[in-house]
Amino acid sequence: MTYILNRLLSVILTLFLITLVTFAVTNILPGDVAMMIMGTQSNPEALAGLRESLGLNDPLLVQYGRWIGGMLSGDWGNSLIFKKPIAELLAQKAVASAIIVVMSMTIALAMAVPLGVWAAVHRDKWQDTVSSTSALMGVSLPDFFWGIVMILVFARWLGWFPSSGFVEPSVDFMGTLRHAFLPSLALGLGLMAHLTRMTRSTMTGILSQEFIRVARAKGLSERTVIWRYALANAIGPVITIAGLQIGYLFGSIIVMEFLFSYTGMGWLTYQALLNRDLPLIQATVFVIAAVVMLTNLAVDLLYVVIDPRIKLG
Amino acid sequence: MNAIVTVDHLRVEFATDGGTVVGVEDVSFTIAPGETLCVVGESGSGKSVTSLSLMRLVEFGGGTITAGALNFVRTDGSTLDVAAASPQVMGGVRGNEIGMIFQEPMTALNPVFTVERQLTDGLMLHKGISQQAASARALDLLKSVRIPEPERRLRQYPHELSGGMRQRVVIAMAMACEPKLLIADEPTTALDVTIQAEILALINRLKREKGMAVLFITHDMAVVAQMADRVVVMYRGRIVETGTVQQIFEHPREDYTKALLAAVPKLGEMKGKPAPERMRLIGDDAARAAQIAPKPRKPELLLQVKNLTTRFPVKGGILRRTVAQVHAVEDVSFALNVGETLALVGESGCGKSSCGRSILRLVEPTSGEVWIGGRDIGALNHHDLRRARADMQMVFQDPFASLNPYRRLKAQVAEPIQNFGLAHGAELEARVLQLFDRVRLPRDYMNRFPHELSGGQRQRVAIARALALNPKLIIADEAVSALDVSVQAQVLNLMMELQDDLGLSYLFISHDMAVVERVAHHVGVMYLGRIVEIGPRAAIFDSPTHPYTKSLLSAVPIADPNKRRFADDLTFKPISSPIYPLGYQPAPSTYSQVAPGHYVLQA
Amino acid sequence: MKRFLTTKGLIGIILLTVIGLIAIIGPMVIPAEAGTAMDMTARRSPPSLKHLFGTDQLGRDLLIRVILGARTSLQIAVSAVVMSIVLGLPLGLISGYFGGRIDNVLMRLVDTLLAFPALLLALTISAVLGPNVQNTIIAIGVAFTPFLARIIRGEALRVAQMPYVEAARSSGTTDSMIMVRHVLPNILPAVIVQGTISLAFAILAEAGLSFLGLGTQPPAASWGLMIQASRDQLDIAPWTALVPGLAVARTVLGLNMFGDVLRDILDPRSK
Repeated sequence: MTYILNRLLSVILTLFLITLVTFAVTNILPGDVAMMIMGTQSNPEALAGLRESLGLNDPLLVQYGRWIGGMLSGDWGNSLIFKKPIAELLAQKAVASAIIVVMSMTIALAMAVPLGVWAAVHRDKWQDTVSSTSALMGVSLPDFFWGIVMILVFARWLGWFPSSGFVEPSVDFMGTLRHAFLPSLALGLGLMAHLTRMTRSTMTGILSQEFIRVARAKGLSERTVIWRYALANAIGPVITIAGLQIGYLFGSIIVMEFLFSYTGMGWLTYQALLNRDLPLIQATVFVIAAVVMLTNLAVDLLYVVIDPRIKLG
Repeated sequence: MNAIVTVDHLRVEFATDGGTVVGVEDVSFTIAPGETLCVVGESGSGKSVTSLSLMRLVEFGGGTITAGALNFVRTDGSTLDVAAASPQVMGGVRGNEIGMIFQEPMTALNPVFTVERQLTDGLMLHKGISQQAASARALDLLKSVRIPEPERRLRQYPHELSGGMRQRVVIAMAMACEPKLLIADEPTTALDVTIQAEILALINRLKREKGMAVLFITHDMAVVAQMADRVVVMYRGRIVETGTVQQIFEHPREDYTKALLAAVPKLGEMKGKPAPERMRLIGDDAARAAQIAPKPRKPELLLQVKNLTTRFPVKGGILRRTVAQVHAVEDVSFALNVGETLALVGESGCGKSSCGRSILRLVEPTSGEVWIGGRDIGALNHHDLRRARADMQMVFQDPFASLNPYRRLKAQVAEPIQNFGLAHGAELEARVLQLFDRVRLPRDYMNRFPHELSGGQRQRVAIARALALNPKLIIADEAVSALDVSVQAQVLNLMMELQDDLGLSYLFISHDMAVVERVAHHVGVMYLGRIVEIGPRAAIFDSPTHPYTKSLLSAVPIADPNKRRFADDLTFKPISSPIYPLGYQPAPSTYSQVAPGHYVLQA
Repeated sequence: MKRFLTTKGLIGIILLTVIGLIAIIGPMVIPAEAGTAMDMTARRSPPSLKHLFGTDQLGRDLLIRVILGARTSLQIAVSAVVMSIVLGLPLGLISGYFGGRIDNVLMRLVDTLLAFPALLLALTISAVLGPNVQNTIIAIGVAFTPFLARIIRGEALRVAQMPYVEAARSSGTTDSMIMVRHVLPNILPAVIVQGTISLAFAILAEAGLSFLGLGTQPPAASWGLMIQASRDQLDIAPWTALVPGLAVARTVLGLNMFGDVLRDILDPRSK
């Protein structure tokens, strides 16, 4: 109980710090927000008017308070480019991105765990070389390059999947999955490469431990030793590493949704950044950081369930 | 009686980056049923390679059996050459007909499986019995290794058990299928001495009850003397000498065996001797040791510790607030004279290291006074502390971690001198040369890096560095514990020689009672942060008074096969935790004097 | 030295040397105008003897542009990583060595920053400051700092507890001297390894930023920009994507391979 309470307090503190950083990055850095929005060529009166209407002439602390107060009361303000309430936009786009995140993580884990285990078991043999080399290739290509290859092969040449757009799941669920598949696959490949490397090194470490030798000394078969004894110990660390990749995933998602014109959170963030829609930038950046933080929290809690060594207390 | 194991000209090779390395070569021995064969040797002797070969586990470490036979008489009476057996056949032998226990009880159990699962999976595999029958048998096994509350243990995970209990579970696992041969690879090396005694007694009892043969691998001659029927001495991958335990200890034939035995201190051998004595060494070191007689000196107080208390916070919660305290050192007082050695002994976690570090203020004591040279170290400010520390230097346990791997030895020995600007240029160079001579290291080692030296040589460099500021006190924190026994003897002799020549005082922190008996003038026994008994060496060893001191001394293995002590089951009181809630104020340490200078903590 | 001579190490070194030489020598031999010279008669021409890697939608020679892009990418990546080390090293060193309250506060801040995906942070900073080469460097450099600080802090913490540090402290070595003489040399291998791997990530980040139009700006040659331009002509001129894409891949692969071998050699825990 104390543990959960402590974690909860820590979450609130971190969320508060995240709002501070978000606000700082968008405000304290040099650059006039009004000019950011209207461009350097705009006339001074219009600029002054915008500043006044955005409350930019108030002290920073007041602006920050207004922002936080708004968010707490559910009023996230309006987007300047979409002319819509930000809360509504976020709710709409979050679903699209959640689909991609889950799909790409599933693809990545399904490939990375067997590959990584395989490489660790046959350490320094050809199997290891094959697995490690392909993983190395995977991490070395930008994921948007994978995306382009996917579009070229699966959309343009084979015509199996659409190359752009998003369909609401309530309209056509299969269509949603078909649209989400290529960006997820492209993201998944990059992730997979990284997770394979991590699984390999985790498994290598576990296989060199004494309890593995003890298991062998008991006469257990290699299959039991590796897929039961060793893997049971690797799952916790691998999930943790996968959880840490959520941050990386949310970065790549911006590029990938842009590439596939897939209208999710990443796409929204990109539109906000490109058009310097300050309220929307603040909201999307905050939400993404908060989601990353909460995912890491979820992974920590999951670890408690998986690993008997960590006790709630 | 026919041997159940016949090892014949075994040769094992390892493929490394630098080519093929021979692990063991031309190793032959036999083990009879019901016999304990001890294979003894220092690090790199190939003793573990031999035992792993017998299980065909050596392959998983990159080794290959390239010659020889390992004949094992199976339960059905047939003879199997383990060296040539298929993996399938070996799967039926391992854990079933040969059981094995390893060195590290903390890592020998799978952390994410319950004790029950780890005890039963081998049983179900080899005996083909049901889950229920296996569980019942697992409970019997835990009872036979005398684990308290066996029913509860079955459902527990390894991290919930102490090191001693874990090793009992590992033994229960190895015994599960009633093997004919038990291989024990350094099974007590990582354990405290009282737990070691319990485990050794347990292995002896199981061997007697089941009539199984035991192959016991160890580096510790005292354990050999306690356990072995016959002994194989190994050195650098070859067998040096084989014989019964009496032959080996009383009439060793080979020089290596003689040297090894000479270097081992035997508990009790200092009885009636007034002063510490050098270790016996074969060869020229021995001649040197014999030349120097200890000089009597007038008692003169150097260090006085009064009511030293050190507590470490246990942090918790989001704000990392202190939620409890580890009472590492609790109201400890003692005095140390110039040119003398006070040994602090005790088992892991008793606070002996924290005590040494608190004196130097490497950790900040919670309260208490440390008087040296008319100053209270505890009351000094940062600047004065830096100067005062020059009088007290430290030598650490791990020879691999106590030197900076990226600096030349010269620079590391010179650093303390430079810190206080005591010498420059040619003078500094001369000082460093002198220090290398002092610890008997060749002068050309000055320009080397630590990785080019052996463990013993590194420890000499660490001593040279500690001597650089001409300190009055050296705190030696398990300074020889990580060294092989012959190297340990050499370093101990160097330390005693320096004491005689320079009038150094040592605070000698150690878990090894036999070594302490050899080097100390006074001994303090620590338990749960307190000194429970302190006095002249002879008083502590000849008439121990506190119950803990008594049990500690009764648990020490003696390097003499005629003084065996672990026949019957032993159980010592487990050490409780020194963690207390915040604000807990324990009673002060009060002592009663049982003899002049001999104090015992009152309960 | 011998341990670099593994297949992986050799490939890594060769790749990096070739790319390094191209980035340094390329712009010296090729006049800057050549990168923007348009050949309207040969737009989107596939690889040929005249244009070895083909041309883009404006008829610019891709070989020349990919060579000029090497300079841009490496310059930005190296500067950004140097910046993140300059910022992260003191932060991590102080936090790990002194521990206690300083460490708590600094690491709470770093952990908060780590919740922001590096690419998002870089994009935001670049959008706020306005996209150009200098701001791209700042954006990536700042975005990578918390990660480096975390790694360095962990290393410093490990080294600060080593007996040789305690020995130095008890023989009167001051904290600053301990940090310089003992801690820094022992964490340097980890910093070098991490720096090499960060360099790979920085190349990818720069390509991503430019791809999104928030990094290097046209008409300058940058691999990310070139890939972006290829998007609309994938089916008719796939080489316009492949040429810069493979350039990125080759560089990052070289860095990763070199980093792996460096780690095997320098990281004592991998032995």
